[in-house]
Amino acid sequence: MNEPWMMLIVACTVFLIGLMGVIFRKNLLIVLMSVELMLNAVNLSFVTFSKLHNSLEGHISVLFVMTVAAAESAVGLGLVIALFRTLKTADSDQIQILRD
Amino acid sequence: MNLLLIVLFPFFGFMINGFMQLRSLKTGHKISSKQSGSIATFAMVLSFITAIYYFIQFSGQQEDGRLIEQNLFSWIKLGAFHVDFSLRLDSLSLLFTMIITGVGSLIHLYSIGYMKEDETPAKYFSYLNLFCFMMLNLVLGATMPHIFLGWEGVGLASYLLIGYWNQDTAKVGAGQKAFVMNRIGDLGFLIAMFIAYKYVGSLDLVDLQKATLSPKIASVVGLLVFFACTGKSAQIPLFTWLPDAMAGPTPVSALIHAATMVTSGIYLLTRISPLLLQAPDVLSVIAMVGVTTAFVSAVIACAQKDIKKILAYSTVSQLGFMFLACGVGAFDAGVFHVMTHAFFKALMFLGAGSVIHALHEEQNIFKMGGLSRKLPITTFTFVMGWAAILGLPPFSGFFSKDEIIIQSLHSQYGNQILFIMALASALLTAFYMTRLLVLVFFSPSRMEKETEEHAHESPLVMTLPLIALAILSLVGGFMHHSEGGHEEGQSIMIASVVVALIGAAFAFFRYRKFDKEEMTNQFVEKGLGIDVFYNKFFGNGVPLLAKGLSKWIEEYFIQNSMKFCTWMVEFSGSVLKSFQVGSMQVYLLMMVVFGLAFMIWILESVMQGVIFYGK
Amino acid sequence: MENSQQLTALLIWPMLGSILAWFIPKASQRIYSLFISIVQFALVIYVAYPVITQTGQGLEQTLPWLSDLGIQLSLKLDSTSVWFVLLSGFVSFVVLGMKGQWYRRNTRLFSSMAFFLIFSINAAFLSSNLIVFYLSYEAVFIPMILMVGIWGSSTKANSVFRFFLMSFFGSILMLVSIFYLSYLYFLKTGIFSANLNDLLKLSNENSPAMLWCFAGFFLAFAIKVPLFPFHGWLKEVYVNAPAPATIWMSAILSKLGVYGFIRFVGPLFPEAILSAQGILLALAAFSVIYAAFLAIQAKDPKALLSYSSISHLGFVMLGVFSMGASAKTSAIVLSVSHGLTSLVLFYLYDLIVKRKEDVSLEAYSGLAKKFPILFVCLFIGVLASVSLPGTFNFVGEFLVLIHAYPVSALCTILAGIGVIFGAVYMLKFYQKLGFGVSSDAQVAEVAEDISGFDLIVIVLILALIIYFGFQPSLFLGGMTNV
Repeated sequence: MNEPWMMLIVACTVFLIGLMGVIFRKNLLIVLMSVELMLNAVNLSFVTFSKLHNSLEGHISVLFVMTVAAAESAVGLGLVIALFRTLKTADSDQIQILRD
Repeated sequence: MNLLLIVLFPFFGFMINGFMQLRSLKTGHKISSKQSGSIATFAMVLSFITAIYYFIQFSGQQEDGRLIEQNLFSWIKLGAFHVDFSLRLDSLSLLFTMIITGVGSLIHLYSIGYMKEDETPAKYFSYLNLFCFMMLNLVLGATMPHIFLGWEGVGLASYLLIGYWNQDTAKVGAGQKAFVMNRIGDLGFLIAMFIAYKYVGSLDLVDLQKATLSPKIASVVGLLVFFACTGKSAQIPLFTWLPDAMAGPTPVSALIHAATMVTSGIYLLTRISPLLLQAPDVLSVIAMVGVTTAFVSAVIACAQKDIKKILAYSTVSQLGFMFLACGVGAFDAGVFHVMTHAFFKALMFLGAGSVIHALHEEQNIFKMGGLSRKLPITTFTFVMGWAAILGLPPFSGFFSKDEIIIQSLHSQYGNQILFIMALASALLTAFYMTRLLVLVFFSPSRMEKETEEHAHESPLVMTLPLIALAILSLVGGFMHHSEGGHEEGQSIMIASVVVALIGAAFAFFRYRKFDKEEMTNQFVEKGLGIDVFYNKFFGNGVPLLAKGLSKWIEEYFIQNSMKFCTWMVEFSGSVLKSFQVGSMQVYLLMMVVFGLAFMIWILESVMQGVIFYGK
Repeated sequence: MENSQQLTALLIWPMLGSILAWFIPKASQRIYSLFISIVQFALVIYVAYPVITQTGQGLEQTLPWLSDLGIQLSLKLDSTSVWFVLLSGFVSFVVLGMKGQWYRRNTRLFSSMAFFLIFSINAAFLSSNLIVFYLSYEAVFIPMILMVGIWGSSTKANSVFRFFLMSFFGSILMLVSIFYLSYLYFLKTGIFSANLNDLLKLSNENSPAMLWCFAGFFLAFAIKVPLFPFHGWLKEVYVNAPAPATIWMSAILSKLGVYGFIRFVGPLFPEAILSAQGILLALAAFSVIYAAFLAIQAKDPKALLSYSSISHLGFVMLGVFSMGASAKTSAIVLSVSHGLTSLVLFYLYDLIVKRKEDVSLEAYSGLAKKFPILFVCLFIGVLASVSLPGTFNFVGEFLVLIHAYPVSALCTILAGIGVIFGAVYMLKFYQKLGFGVSSDAQVAEVAEDISGFDLIVIVLILALIIYFGFQPSLFLGGMTNV
C-alpha cells in the first residue's frame, strides 16, 4: 500500500460514498455523517499529496480541516435538533420550507 | 383712431359680461337682461361708430387708397414660416364690418327684450359679444391663420349659443352637430393653407392674391377652400346643421345663422377670388353647388311647418344664390346679396322671434294665423322683408337677386342651366315665403284660445330693431352702384319679378283660407333624406366603426397580444418553477450533475485544443 | 456650450427632498412637498433662463463616474431638453399641490417617491450619456409602479404588471442597442464610450446592425409615447393610476419617449429613419385616428382622456418623424402644449371625481350648473385640447402639420381627420359631464365649486395656454437657431 495512487482511489471512493449519502439519504443525521465522510476523504487526499510532495502543508490543512469539521458537526447537529423540535421530523423530504 | 378698437369693444363686452356672470354665480346676485344687454349693445354700437368713422374716411378716398393695415404683433415665426397678427381693412372687409356691427347692434338691442325672462342673460350677451369679436377677426384678419382663428372662433360661439339652453340635450346635440360639421369643412381650410404655404411660401392674403399658381394647384386650393365654405355657409354637402341650429335663441339665429357667420364663406371666396379665377373648373363647381343648394333647400322649405326651419332653409337657399354669384365670377353681386340678405333675413328672423315670443314658444305655422291684428308692427316689417326676399322693386332684394340671376346667364362663366335653376329657386322662394306670410299673419287663426288671448305686440326695444331693419331692407338696394349695362338685363329683370309674383300668387290663393294642418310630404320635410342619410351613415357609422375597432383591433389584437406576452412570462416562470422543488438534496444533485457536465466540457475542449491551457 | 456646475443642483435638490421626506411629520407633508417642488421649479427656471434667452447656447457639465466603461455623468441642458425640464418642473409643482388620498395614506412614501421621480426624470432629460439615460429612464418606473400599485384603484395589479412588462421589454432592448453601439465605437476607436457626442460619429454608417439598434431604440420609445401597436398598456394604467401619477405619465413620461426620439434616435439613426419614414409617418397618423376612434366609444371619461392623449401624441410623432429643424421645434412646442393641456384636463377630472361617487360617463350629467367655474375652466381646457386657434395647442398642431405636409401629404390629411374626431369626443366628454339635467342624488354632500389652490393653479395654466397661443415666440425663437 505504498503506491500513492491507491490512496487517492480510496479517498475518491470515500468522497463519492459521502456525496451519495448527502444526496440520497433522507435522515438528516446520516446526511451529516456523510458530510463528515466527505471531509475525511479530502483529508486523506491531503495527506497523500503531502507525502507525495514531501511537504508539511498538507498536514497543516488536515489539522485545520479536522478542527473546523468538529465545530461544523457540532453546529450542524444543533441545527438538526432545532429542526426536529420545530418540524417533528428529521426526514429531509419533509423539510421543503424553501419552496413556499 | 385705431383699427384695433373695432375688434376690442366686443371683446371687452365679452369680458365684462363674462365676469359679471361668474361673479353672480358666486354671490347669487341676479343680473337683469337690461343691465348686461346694455353693456353688450353699447360695445357693439361703439364698434359700429368706429366702423362708420372708417367708412367716412374711405369714401373720401380713391379706390386704391382704401386700405389700412395695422400690424399688432408677430404671431408665429419659425424658420421660414412667419405669420403676423395684423388687421387689414379694405372696402370688402369694411362692408362686412359694417354689417356685423350694424346689424349686430340691432340684434343685441332686440335681445334685451327677447331674453328678458332668461335666467342668465349675462352669459348670453357675453357669448354674443364673443361671437362678434371672432367674426370681426375673421373679416379683418390679414393672414389665413388669422382668418382661421375667427373662422373657428365663430364656430365655437355658434356652438355655445345653439346649445345655450344646455339642460336640453337635444339642443346641445344640435350645437355639437354644427361644430363638428363646421370642423369637417375646417379641415379643408387647414389643408388649403398647407398647400398654399408649400407653393406660395406665405399665408398673407395679399401674397395669395398676387400669386400665380399652376391651374392644378389653384384648383386644389380653391376646391379645399370652397369645401371649408360649404361647412361654414351651409352648402351641399354640409348644410344639414343649419336647420338644426335653430335650437338656439331666435336672435342668435338672426345674427349668426342668417346675417353674419354663414356669409363668411362668401367673404373668403371673394378674398381669394384672384386665385379662383385661375381655376375656372372650380368656379363652375361652386356655381353648380350653389344653385343646386338654392334649389334643393327651397324645395325642402316648401314642406316645413316650423317657422324658424322655413327661414333656415331659406337662408341656405339664399346662400346658394350668393355662391352662384361667386361661381359665375360675379363676386361683387354675391357680396351685395350678402348685405341685402343680412338686412331682410335678420328682419324676418327677428320678426319670427317676435311672433314666437308673443305665442309663448309656439313655432308651428299651422298653429298661428291672423296675427296681423295682434302684432301690427311685426306684420308690417315682416311684409317688407317678404317683399325684399321676393325681389320686388324697389326693395333691396330686387337689386341684388336680379343681378345674380342676370350674371348667371350673361357672365363669362354663366350658362342656361344655372339661369333656369336660379329662376326656379326664385319661384319656390316666392312660394314658401308667401306661404309663411299668409299662414302666420293673414289666414284665419288656428291658435289655441289661451295663446290667442295672451298674444301681444313686442315691446319697443324689440320693435325698434325691426323698424330699422325694415327701412334698411327697403333702401339697402340703393347702396350699390350697379353697372346695369346689359341689353337683355331688362327682360330678365321683368321675368324674375313675374316669376316671383306667380309663386306668391299661387301660395296666396292656396293658403288664404287654410284652417287645418297641411299634410306635407314627410320625405321632403325631413330634408330629402339627406340628413337622415348622414345620421345613418356617419351618426351611426362612426360609433359603429369605433366600436368595431375597439372590439376587433383593440380587444382581440392589441389586448390579446398583451395578454399573450404576460402569459408567456407567466408560463416560462411556471415551467422553471417546477425545477425549484425546495429540497436541498435535489439542488445539490443538480449542482453536481451540471458541475460534472461543465468539467467534462472543459476537459473535452482542452483535449481538442479549443482552449489552450499552459504552453 | 458653457460649462456649468448648476446642473447637478437639479439632481441633488429633488434627491434631498426624497430623503428628507421621511423625517417630516405626516400632517405637513403637502406643505413640504409644495415647498420642495416650488424651489425645484425656481431652480429650473434659474438654470434654464440663460439657455432660453441666449439662443443656441446650452449648459454642459461632466462628472467622472465609471469612465473606463465609457460611463460618465455628463449632463447637458440645451434648447431641446430645456423645455422638457421646465415642463416637468412646472407639472410636478402643480401635481404635488393636489389634494387626495395620497396625502392621507402612506404619505411619506408618496412624497419621497414623488421627488425620486422628479430626480430620475431630470436625470433622463439632462443626461447625454446613453447608459446614464437608460438608468434614469428605468428608475422612473420605480416610483410610477409604486404609485399605481399603492394609491391606484382596485383593479390595478394586472395593469401594473403589463405596464412594467411592456416598458421593460422595450427598454431592455434599448440597453442591448446601447451596448452594441458602444461596442461598435470600440471597434472603431479602441475606446468604450456611451456618450452621445462620441456615438454620433457612427450615425453615417449604414449597416444592418445599425438598423437593429434603431429597432431597439424605436421599440423602447414607441412603447413609452405610445405609438399605435404599442399602446396596449396605456388605458388600464392611466385609468387605474391615482391622478398625480396619471398626470405625470401623460404630461411628462410620454414626453420622455418623444424626447428620446428627438434627442437620440433622430441624430443617431438618420439613415434608418429616412428609409422607414413612410411607415413611421403612417404609424403616427394612424395613431391619431385610431386613438380618436377609441376615445369616441370610451365609456369611462378617464379612458377617453387617455385615448385623446395617444391621439395628440400621434401629432407630436408626426412632427418628429418629419425630420428637419422646424418640424422638430414644432413637435417640442406641441409636446409642451399637450403637457399643459393634459395637466388641466386630468386635474379637473380628478376634482370632478372627488365630487362624485360613480365614475361611468352615463352617470354624469348637468354638473356645469352645480360647479360653473370648474366647468368654465374645463371648457377652456377642452377647447385647448381640440386645438382651437388662440390656444397654445393650435400653434403646435398647426406648425407640425404644415411642416409635415411637404413630407407626406397623405399622412397629414389623415392626421387632420383626427382633428374632426377630436372635436367629436372632446365635446362628448364635456357635454356628458356638464350638460343635461342634473340629478342631485349623485353629488356628494360637501361638493363645492373649485376654489383655493386648485382655482389659482388652473387659471394660471389656462392663462399660460392662451398667452402662448398668441405669443409662442418664446418657444420658437429660442429654438430656431439650433
